[in-house]
Amino acid sequence: MASPVPVKEKKLMEVKLGELPGWILMRDFTPKGIAGAFQRGYYRYYNKYINVKKGGVAGISMVLAAYVLFNYCRSYKELKHERLRKYH
Amino acid sequence: SDGAPGPGHWDADAAAGGLVDLAVPGGAFSGRRAPCLKNPVLGPGVLQAIRIFHTRQPSLAPIPCVPEYGGKVCLGLIPKEFFQFLYPKTGVRGPYVLGTGLILYSLSKEIYVITAETFSAISTIGLLIYVVKKYGASIGEFADKLSEQKIAQLEEVKQASIQQIQDAIDTEKSQQALVQKRHYLFDVQRNNIAMALELTYRERLHRVYREVKNRLDYHISVQNMMRRKEQEHMINWVEKHVVQSISAQQEKETIAKCIAGLKLLAKKAPSQPVL
Repeated sequence: MASPVPVKEKKLMEVKLGELPGWILMRDFTPKGIAGAFQRGYYRYYNKYINVKKGGVAGISMVLAAYVLFNYCRSYKELKHERLRKYH
Repeated sequence: SDGAPGPGHWDADAAAGGLVDLAVPGGAFSGRRAPCLKNPVLGPGVLQAIRIFHTRQPSLAPIPCVPEYGGKVCLGLIPKEFFQFLYPKTGVRGPYVLGTGLILYSLSKEIYVITAETFSAISTIGLLIYVVKKYGASIGEFADKLSEQKIAQLEEVKQASIQQIQDAIDTEKSQQALVQKRHYLFDVQRNNIAMALELTYRERLHRVYREVKNRLDYHISVQNMMRRKEQEHMINWVEKHVVQSISAQQEKETIAKCIAGLKLLAKKAPSQPVL
């Protein structure tokens, strides 16, 4: 595709659906790249919700909710047996 | 003739000098001539004065200020960006309908299983919400006070440093102003020197006068002495000759005359009481 901006530089939201596989493949998958991605994500969240003058409960509550959800997904396999009805 | 952008010599020069400017990504890359050797006539001190620092925009600076409020979150869990994302297609109620639908779906399909823990979760979350709603503001104010104290401390340090530097500047300026008033000092010194010169001159003049007077006095006293000596000598000589000229006979006659005269006097005044 002859687009003025090269695909690699675009952010995820601006990548068109057809370009998505190519975009994913072009990402940096070295350990350094992955660590960089985690760092960037962490600092993005940190600077947006926690490192502010008047933060609220949203900063930690979102992290706790994600943690709750994550553990629920992990333990769904055992929870399946405690269902009230067999057929849904 | 410098191919690099005009300002920002410092970066290239620092790179040439072995330092890496971390504010600029890839700040150590070559490709620019070091401008420090352009004019070898100037000494290094002069060149430092005309070097321009940091006038180009580095890409990582300036560091943005800490924002006042965090990202907006609805229900304490879902960022507002999600609502904005769905707004064009579904309007305002879209995300809430989606949330309700998802909850009912997970309940009905028992993706979320209702167990004993559900009730403990409900009570826990209810308690948390109650605490947050009731005491959230006061806790926030407390935290704000703490951070304000910290900021005030740092600000104090900064202000103290600024004040120090300002004082140093003022001292420097006043001392520079003093330089303008040096001429008073020099005038006073010149006056002192002139007075000292005058004093010495007059002292020596007086001394000259005294010495000359001394010499003249000497001559005068010599003359006086000579005069006196001559007088005395002459008087002595005259007396001696007069005495010599009085012969013995003349002396006897004179004495007899004196005695006669005294007798006459004694006769003339016998009635005078003798006291």
